[in-house]
Amino acid sequence: MTDSARARLQSLLRARIDAPAMQWLDDAMSSQSHDELCRAYTAAPKHVGRAPIGVAEYGGWTADDAARCVLLLGVAERLEPQVFAAAAIECFERGDSREQQSWLRGLSLMPQPERFRAIAVDACRTNIVPLFESIACENPYPARFFPELNFNQLVLKAMFNDIALARIVGLRERSNAELTRMAADYAAERRAAGRSVPSDLALAMQHPIHEELAR
Amino acid sequence: MKIFDPHVHMTSRTTDDYEAMADAGIVALVEPAFWLGQPRTTVGSFVDYFNSLIGWERFRASQFGIRHFCTIGLNPKESNNPKIAGEVLSLLPRYLDKDGVVAVGEIGFDDQTDAETASFRRQVDLAAEFNLPILIHTPHRDKKRGTVRSIEVVRAAGFPEERVLIDHNNEETLPIVLETACWAGHTIYPNTKMDEQRMAALVMKYGSDRVIVNSAADWGISDPLKVPKTIDVMRAHGIRDDVIQKIVWDNPVAFFAQSGKLDLAELDERPAIDRSQKFETNSVLRGEQVVSR
Repeated sequence: MTDSARARLQSLLRARIDAPAMQWLDDAMSSQSHDELCRAYTAAPKHVGRAPIGVAEYGGWTADDAARCVLLLGVAERLEPQVFAAAAIECFERGDSREQQSWLRGLSLMPQPERFRAIAVDACRTNIVPLFESIACENPYPARFFPELNFNQLVLKAMFNDIALARIVGLRERSNAELTRMAADYAAERRAAGRSVPSDLALAMQHPIHEELAR
Repeated sequence: MKIFDPHVHMTSRTTDDYEAMADAGIVALVEPAFWLGQPRTTVGSFVDYFNSLIGWERFRASQFGIRHFCTIGLNPKESNNPKIAGEVLSLLPRYLDKDGVVAVGEIGFDDQTDAETASFRRQVDLAAEFNLPILIHTPHRDKKRGTVRSIEVVRAAGFPEERVLIDHNNEETLPIVLETACWAGHTIYPNTKMDEQRMAALVMKYGSDRVIVNSAADWGISDPLKVPKTIDVMRAHGIRDDVIQKIVWDNPVAFFAQSGKLDLAELDERPAIDRSQKFETNSVLRGEQVVSR
């Protein structure tokens, strides 16, 4: 699966960037040290640019996101799983906001993606909205790997930030009674404060409502 | 009117803000320890932050005639980081007895996780051990439930409610807090939390006992003059000056005096400004003339 994800991204990139940029990416995939890898990870947009990929499957991705994902997938094939995980985490922790966004967008394509769950959950605590969107929106990772509490908090935070709930992948499948209660409480709190209630609130309330809430 | 802003993150503010606050009547403030807008990755970042709260920031405030106090604690968000939470909790006893540290805080809930509960309980116990009040941050998301759960944590620990300030209240949580013996803080923000008009309405409905307002100004869209602006709106609604004085001075002073670290006689006087003073050879002067008032 890893190999096909990498091949697919490389073919999308090949159609969008020039030969020297592709050559740079091939060379960067053979980075020998953490330091070399992190530097290549940072430098990706300098070489491949930031043109939108423009494919529904990769909603919101730009060329540098794809190149960074290819870079990590390439390195993952060569390194021991633990060494790879440490290198990947270093790319995230030392990354600026854009680097972290690239990292989160590609997370579900990584081998054993569940081992990065703590980082993905922690990333939701950010106040940088584009960074939050990179994990919360058009990203299958939270629905697949977040525990219920963290998934619910993600949905509520999206509401707080006026993010359309339709952008959260798997919201219907992950809906639950607690989320329905939280969304109902949020609507009540907004009304008590004389504020508007998000028009798409119902998307967070797709689970049958408890009897006491319906009253 | 003399004003005590019991919650404002001055580390994020400029010297223009300090000047405007002093001009508007703010004589003293409390700066609670919180997160810095992005996660800290090592315990050393907390050491430096706590040191700045008891050191440079305190000095900086004094240079504008404002008395600076702080609260120290591990905030709810970063309680979720297992790599550093334990180390930060171990560090707290080194700070809680220091001058100017008037409470343990901000503690409480953010996502309402098990890790947050554990860190919260541990810090309530620390407050009991150091005989300090506590400042509780209530969460933005799922606030009503987070407020109820915070009260449960305080009660389970047997901590005296009159030494607890529960902050960031709204129309739904204020009546819950007033049913306890805890104090109720309100954060007046430009767009979120609470605004001046709603605050005046709450005071008219619930009165002024144990009611406190703050600006909480930080690095986001916020305003360090929100307490004086709320005074104006309360006056416009016909709320008496003695009631307002209780909310913006008497109540926060009475609450934080429980730390034993507020000198009430000293608080009555604005500190003399002497800008020839230096803090570890640093001055707030950048080539300007020395001012003494």
